[in-house]
Amino acid sequence: MTNPLEITDLVYKKNQKKIITDLNLTLKPGKIVALLGENGAGKTTLMRIISGVAKNYRGSVKVAGFTKEADRKGHLSFTDGLTGFANSTKINDIVKFYQILYHDFNLKQFEQLRDFMNLKPDLRLSELSKGMKEKLVIALTFSRRVDLYLLDEPFSGIDAMARKKIIKSIILWKQEKSTILISDHFVNEITAVLDEVVIIKNKTVCMQKSTEAIRADNQSVEEFYESFYQREEEE
Amino acid sequence: MEFKDNIPIYLQIKQYLYRQIITGKLKPGKKIPSVRELAVQLTVNVNTVQRALQQMNFEGILYTKRGEGNFVTEDTTLLEKTKRELINAELDKFVHSMNSLGVSDEQILKSLSEYLKEEHSDD
Repeated sequence: MTNPLEITDLVYKKNQKKIITDLNLTLKPGKIVALLGENGAGKTTLMRIISGVAKNYRGSVKVAGFTKEADRKGHLSFTDGLTGFANSTKINDIVKFYQILYHDFNLKQFEQLRDFMNLKPDLRLSELSKGMKEKLVIALTFSRRVDLYLLDEPFSGIDAMARKKIIKSIILWKQEKSTILISDHFVNEITAVLDEVVIIKNKTVCMQKSTEAIRADNQSVEEFYESFYQREEEE
Repeated sequence: MEFKDNIPIYLQIKQYLYRQIITGKLKPGKKIPSVRELAVQLTVNVNTVQRALQQMNFEGILYTKRGEGNFVTEDTTLLEKTKRELINAELDKFVHSMNSLGVSDEQILKSLSEYLKEEHSDD
């Protein structure tokens, strides 16, 4: 089976400054993976490169075996904020836009997710709290049927109840073979749903490990992640 | 259900299910919740639940009916054995912890029977 993501020797510069260097990463089908790193480590940049939003990189990025940007976009689901929409836009209008843009957008699935998240269809973006907006992003992202889902810091600044709801929706709506990459700068509370962690440091992937393998060494995933940054402080 | 994050979660899921079976919340011969239902209920990864159930199938405490799901064994000998193992594991922890406090096996026995006597007189 084709891997949902294969990145080889990726280099990305912005204003002549290296943001990502010599990055290699392969994700297997059917996994939930956390992309961890400090703020500014390059997590969002990496997601934007994978999804084809950020261009002019060197190296190879394959999504479900496809390298061309248009093909990649057809095999992954990524909602880059909702910054393209005016504040007065209603949820329903965003959905219409998604239906036009993505032929695999499943309205029935969206409505189920929307109801699960308790979002009313005629609400405007300006009426949504941070948590509600994040729930909407999740509902939109999971309403497509693709090999790879990218979630960029879905838990930042939202309360525990909303977080729990989002985690449960991930377990409920994930298809067996699809893979989810979730970025975050800390890792507690979601560790139990993760298959793997990928740690970004010094502009590249410095570690990829299964969470159960970490636990088998009597270490918590949080301790494991923190140890990479503590080492730096001691140096 | 809260899981410790420094112990493999599939082991903790197994422990949880053993308890459900021993205490009769999951009954012999009855179907247990699906992999996804368990994952949502316990807020854990589906693959991890799968691994726990596979091992329990291998041990014989669960059995799979094709297309129907997982069922609890009706083998009473095996259920008794599982219960004994669970009790032994708890005793192991207790004795180990007492030993590490410098309490000898004899003292444990004495302290325990005194403790139980007091507990019962409280009732």
